Amino acid sequence: MIRFLLRRLALTVPTFVALMFVTFMMIRLVPGDPIEVRRGERGISPERLAELRHEMGLDQPIWKQFVDYVWGLLHGDFGVSIITKNPILQEFLHLFPATIELSVCALLFATIIGIPAGVIAASRRGGVYDQTLMGLALTGYSMPIFWWGLILILIMSNTLHLTPVSGRVDLIKYFYPQVTGFMLIDSLISGQKGAFPDAVRHLILPTIVLGTVPLAIIARMTRSSMLEVLEEDYVRTARAKGLAPYRVIGIHALRNALIPVVTVIGLSIGSLLAGAVLTETIFSWPGVGKWLIESIGRRDYPALQGGIMLISSIVIVVNLLVDLTYGLINPRIRHAR
Amino acid sequence: MKRITMLASALLVSTMLASGGAQAKSLVYCSEGSPENFSPSVNTTGTSLDAARPVYNQLVEFERGTTNIVPGLAESYEVSPDGLTITFKLRKGVKFHSGVNGFTPTRDFNADDVIWSFERQLKEDHPYHKVSGGAYDYFNDMDMPKLLKSIEKVDDLTVKMTLTEPNAPIIANLGMDFATIASAEYAKFLLDKGTPEQFDQFPVGTGPFQFVDYQKDAVIRFKAFDAYWGGKAKIDDLIYAITPDATARYAKLKAGECHVMGYPNPADLEAMGKDEGITVMNQAGLNIGYLAMNVTKPPFDKKEVRQAINMAIDRDSILKEVYQGAGQKAKNFIPPTIWSYNDAVKDYDYNPDKAKEMLKAAGVENLQSDLWWMPVQRPYNPNAKRMAEMMQADLAKVGITVELKSYEWGEYRKRLQAGEHQMGLLGWTGDNGDPDNFFFLLGCTGAREGGQNISKWCDKNFEDKLQQAKKVSEKADRTKLYEELQVISKEEAPVVTIAHSTVFEPVSKKVSDYKVSPLGRHEFYGVDIAE
Repeated sequence: MIRFLLRRLALTVPTFVALMFVTFMMIRLVPGDPIEVRRGERGISPERLAELRHEMGLDQPIWKQFVDYVWGLLHGDFGVSIITKNPILQEFLHLFPATIELSVCALLFATIIGIPAGVIAASRRGGVYDQTLMGLALTGYSMPIFWWGLILILIMSNTLHLTPVSGRVDLIKYFYPQVTGFMLIDSLISGQKGAFPDAVRHLILPTIVLGTVPLAIIARMTRSSMLEVLEEDYVRTARAKGLAPYRVIGIHALRNALIPVVTVIGLSIGSLLAGAVLTETIFSWPGVGKWLIESIGRRDYPALQGGIMLISSIVIVVNLLVDLTYGLINPRIRHAR
Repeated sequence: MKRITMLASALLVSTMLASGGAQAKSLVYCSEGSPENFSPSVNTTGTSLDAARPVYNQLVEFERGTTNIVPGLAESYEVSPDGLTITFKLRKGVKFHSGVNGFTPTRDFNADDVIWSFERQLKEDHPYHKVSGGAYDYFNDMDMPKLLKSIEKVDDLTVKMTLTEPNAPIIANLGMDFATIASAEYAKFLLDKGTPEQFDQFPVGTGPFQFVDYQKDAVIRFKAFDAYWGGKAKIDDLIYAITPDATARYAKLKAGECHVMGYPNPADLEAMGKDEGITVMNQAGLNIGYLAMNVTKPPFDKKEVRQAINMAIDRDSILKEVYQGAGQKAKNFIPPTIWSYNDAVKDYDYNPDKAKEMLKAAGVENLQSDLWWMPVQRPYNPNAKRMAEMMQADLAKVGITVELKSYEWGEYRKRLQAGEHQMGLLGWTGDNGDPDNFFFLLGCTGAREGGQNISKWCDKNFEDKLQQAKKVSEKADRTKLYEELQVISKEEAPVVTIAHSTVFEPVSKKVSDYKVSPLGRHEFYGVDIAE
């Protein structure tokens, strides 16, 4: 187990080095520089441009900038945003809880609905339930997120008035400080009456929108994995013993069918953290996805480099953990060369 | 510290809400993005300036909804006969906000604050000059470092500004956000604490609203300042709900989650107009979209060719197709809302036949030219690519073959300013309503390589009058000169003036006394909201 862990850890080192290099270079390949991009039709004199570039260290040779950047990273220094002049780490930590809160809710939503849907579809293979559920899953999987979000707002908020349009809190009614950055927790801490249900209401639409694609994937994965397991001999044996169908499916089959599903769930954490950009934009959710997109527009090099490094690191760590759990569940993985 | 301030203000508001705060009037503005920080002197984007404006005042200000200059922190000012000194009489008894970021002012606003605010931007050895990057873009753009010889305190309520040369537009410049007056005492308080960077993050000013809280990408909160010198605001709480997506802003406005929204999608305007709860306000924008012809590249050095192109382009169709009607045809280089607009100028009519004749007479045949379009949507040009394509078709009709070109936005502007193009689309949004703020774009200073005059046109007659208009202080004299400039530039035709776009602002019917600013500002002092 220790050897497996060490081997996996060693593998992340080249990944990090490649990441550092790629994030650094990619951003600089995009035409336009952070100073000029802000100036618009106003323009800037070449002297002033040179002065500002010098102040930001952008006049240094690329390799020198890269070395400085890596040196900073090794000391835990992600740099300072060109636009706001705030430390990148501080901005990231301020915004990240919102992203986690939304991602976790979306994942819970996807899992709680996706697994039972997959199980039902598999146990009624070829029937109306199966066809309907899998049809829905396919629709969900191919749903354009932006459109889906706006349609939900139009129906749920503007027509039925069931949920708020966007944001994390009713700004007129509630005002409490961000202690943890998780609104569900902060609203409870605040002790203000109605704050918690309000925070929940604000989470509903973004959760559905962000959770739709993972929900579809989980449902389909559960179904196919279940179908495979249901063919196994021990399931037939269990049935032959006269066990109730819910016991056969719910206990004997589902447990084994869940292994690949767990992997899929683990892997989608990464894509949820990084992929919430559209959902965050539609619902004015102050998370890191939206922050990164804005940084591209503003050519905020340090924010982009730092933000992508931080998110990638988290994704790498999550993947590592998933691999480890998988190794724990299935000894064959651990011993594979 | 930050957390303590936030907690304190949160407690304050929650107590307000609990103790019969139901009567508190809150106005929510759906803004389009997060500010860079809260100091207008170091910012350039409209988003950032809007976010700081409730907190601050300038010496002189723009009357809401207009470009007229009215007294601000200076009750009056006097320009010396030689135009070189301006003496400001400051308002007495003006209070600064108290309780923001742990700061309690011990004195009223005075001359020291004015001196401090200008010297921060002017003097490189000022303790705050390098804080937050030290780039004072607007201050530099308005030529203040060159123009401002000194700024002195005569007494507590009198400030004398000495200029290096007479400059009439400076008064309008001083109404701009960069000329905001901050608290020198607050600056010292933070410097003593060793946290000067907080100066730009927790703003303290004399304005109608006091800063309460800011959560990046989520919300900015202000409360009405009871002791405001102009009288307390009609609303109690001003909330900026940061909502980057225009469709989401509209949905929030419909749902009553906000009361005013900026920058609607043009495509949504029709539906908004039909919405019972929403009034779509509009105003002619202080802007111009134009096509510049590079006079250093033949045959654009010939006036007749430039005039012919003016006649060859069908601006009415462009207005309909590109602006979807949300704009007016531009006759002059300044919009009609700016004083000195010369309505007597005769515009070129769309006349491809005559254009063809003129080109022939000028000896131009089978002309091949490039035409550049910017890759971004701008307030004065919603779709430059479409516009360029329509022009290409128009010009083909008079025998000019046009190749369309574009670059990344920063690169685009740089190359245009270097004069690489033959024809290129660009535009301008005014800062302060002074005609000079538009006409300098056609002057000789901007025509040098890298300058902002992208037709590179430098006409002595025009330039002399432009400089003269800056130096005389009588508005009537200036008006006459600017009227002449419009005649000259129309005749010489270095550009095709295309359109002034209209600015739309959807506002909830609950809101009263909101005014659309021609300067593109969003201002809430004086605005009221029904319970």
